[in-house]
Amino acid sequence: MKKFYSNKLAIFFFTLPALLVFSVMVFYPIIQVFVKSFYDWNGLGSGTFIGFENYQKLFRDTVFKLSNKNALIFSVFITIFQITLASVFALAVSDQKTKGRNILRVSYFIPVVLSVTVVCQLWLAILNADSGLLNQLFKALGLNYQQNWLSDRNHAIYVIAFVNAWQWMGYQFALMLAGIKAIPIDYYEAAKIDGASNFQAHTKVTIPLLKETYKICLTISLTGGVKAFTEMFIMTKGGPGNATYTLTYLMYKAAFREYRYGYGMAAASILVLQCIAIILVINWLFRDKEKKEVA
Amino acid sequence: MKKVIALCLSLTLCTTLLIGCSKQAEETSTETTATAADTTTETTEATEATEPVEETVALGEGVLSEEEATLRIYAQYSDDDTIIPYDYAVEQLAIAYPNVTLELEVQAQDDGQKLMTYAATGNLPDIYQVALAQIENFKESGNIMVLNDVAKSTGFEDKVFDSAKNILYNEDGNIYAFPYAGNEYVVWYYNKAIFDKYKVEVPTTYDELLAAIETFKSNDIVPMSIFGAEGWITAAMYDVLATRWDADGIAKLDDGKGAPTEEAYVNAAEMMHTLVNAGMFQDSATSTNYDQASEMFLTGKSAMFLNGQWYMTDATGILGDDVDWMNYPSYDEESYESGKVVWSGGGAAAGYAVNPNSEKAQLAAEVAAFISEKYCEAKVMYRGTPLVALDVDAEPETEFPPMMEKLQSVLPEITSITKFDWHLTNGTFKTTLEDQTKYMLVEDYTAEEFITELSNSLTQ
Repeated sequence: MKKFYSNKLAIFFFTLPALLVFSVMVFYPIIQVFVKSFYDWNGLGSGTFIGFENYQKLFRDTVFKLSNKNALIFSVFITIFQITLASVFALAVSDQKTKGRNILRVSYFIPVVLSVTVVCQLWLAILNADSGLLNQLFKALGLNYQQNWLSDRNHAIYVIAFVNAWQWMGYQFALMLAGIKAIPIDYYEAAKIDGASNFQAHTKVTIPLLKETYKICLTISLTGGVKAFTEMFIMTKGGPGNATYTLTYLMYKAAFREYRYGYGMAAASILVLQCIAIILVINWLFRDKEKKEVA
Repeated sequence: MKKVIALCLSLTLCTTLLIGCSKQAEETSTETTATAADTTTETTEATEATEPVEETVALGEGVLSEEEATLRIYAQYSDDDTIIPYDYAVEQLAIAYPNVTLELEVQAQDDGQKLMTYAATGNLPDIYQVALAQIENFKESGNIMVLNDVAKSTGFEDKVFDSAKNILYNEDGNIYAFPYAGNEYVVWYYNKAIFDKYKVEVPTTYDELLAAIETFKSNDIVPMSIFGAEGWITAAMYDVLATRWDADGIAKLDDGKGAPTEEAYVNAAEMMHTLVNAGMFQDSATSTNYDQASEMFLTGKSAMFLNGQWYMTDATGILGDDVDWMNYPSYDEESYESGKVVWSGGGAAAGYAVNPNSEKAQLAAEVAAFISEKYCEAKVMYRGTPLVALDVDAEPETEFPPMMEKLQSVLPEITSITKFDWHLTNGTFKTTLEDQTKYMLVEDYTAEEFITELSNSLTQ
């Protein structure tokens, strides 16, 4: 193996196909997004260079501010919901004493394998203000709590975030369960010999050793929240009005419905920068202790 | 053994690849031959063009051209309103252009994205259905053919109703698409049986409308079902209200000749807010789709419904004599009477367009004109609508629904129509109008917020 790593030519040729595919399919389009954000471009032809005009318009756009606010709400909501529940469920399922562990494990993961469209349609039916299951349930229980779940301008974003969190919690759960299973059992035995309770074993052993898993989970949920689109598109079309717009939806609207591709690319550029910023911050927060001390 | 299997697999892979390549080469070769043959035909035809007498003799009865071609066409083909006219046009095409074959690609409901992708990659079909906003884009990039000459030579231009001339010519005076739909109208339908049952008079003013809403609500009837998941119908609702104060409605804003802060638009927004708060629409209005809203109306769960005039056939088919349309209510009796000649709706210079880079562009243009004409015939004969772009010699298979006859009787008196949402040319204004009128269906969304957002969109 050492011989292989010292052969630079072999490394070059073996990584070349992947690098080429990555460059053509990912890197080049991202560069194009930034380049075209400086153009007045309708998607056809080469467009006209207009400098920062698209960005100036974007920062003046009230919908841009609303989209960022929604992205923040969405990201924070799904992160808290998914990571908290996934942690609790993963710890519970990893415990040998928990009854029905296999059924629970499968149940938590089922929503993940469903199509987003199916999940959205399911929740649309449940949340329908006139005939939805949820309102009918409240009615049957005699509770006067029937709501226009998706028409409430202040709360619709939370409802959509809940649908996303409900579906993808299982994914975080699977990552955490895999992380927990990778922790050697000896650590828990040592902790028990030292007199640690189950709770203490988890707080002192499991959670600290899941640091890398949490880092991945946080990255997935926060960036996923910032670039949320599908649920809004299917359930509310960004509505009511533009109450559930995110930056991705704003980009879609500008480019694909208004043929203002340059403006859409400006929104996409901001989105890319936001995602990079999130990843950098998470990496900084989760950096190794030694490195922190050096810093 | 493993080596033998690996060798066999590799050989299979190579053979498949070679077969694929040879097929491609064969196709290319055929295409080349076809192109050469076509060139010969075109040359012959060009020569024959100087001898028109001989050409007339050569063609059989009903045959317009014997040129051979396979044309790609991108068209709507999803419901009776699109399938029946298309099938009829293809049937007629087989007679008039016996050697032309159409390869249909069904239009995707994707805000025109597929067409844009085709245009961007130089892969546009020979003939395609196009909306007005895309025409503007395609004009700049040279992806749409100017059809002025073909419109003249085929006689298409002469057949267009005078009242529909506005939907033939683009703003620059050229013809870029052959339209088939004429000017269309936003119609306020109501269920006569429900109105009679609860002894509600057809409202002429907003005060009467509010009283009717109260009566229907107290009897668990939704006053009006609306498919608020679609932006165009909420925009149409707003336009209906705005035209009571300003006959130009949303068209004036789209053309940049007015501002949302003008009294007419503010009044319309406030009225829409009042109606929403009075409970005019169903609770889940913002997420209700067309099927759900129509079902409510057709099953008697709602008393009123807003849609285009094309809904008349379907509504009559189910509700029979119980369904009718009313003139839009207004703020007072006087404006109600004067507003009877002012309608929401309209048409636009859109329809079947032609790819100028098509190998058979000229023939494709003639075929496009022919198809549009046949669409008009089919719509009159089989779809119960006389509102088509061309004056065609066709009789309806069955009588028009009474509602259509009633509409036809008032058509000559109509002095002003506006625009349907999809005919708006300012893309930013259009999407904002859709979003914001949908927003107006939410009770706590104010008219001031609506006007502010609409104004912002126009400054962009």
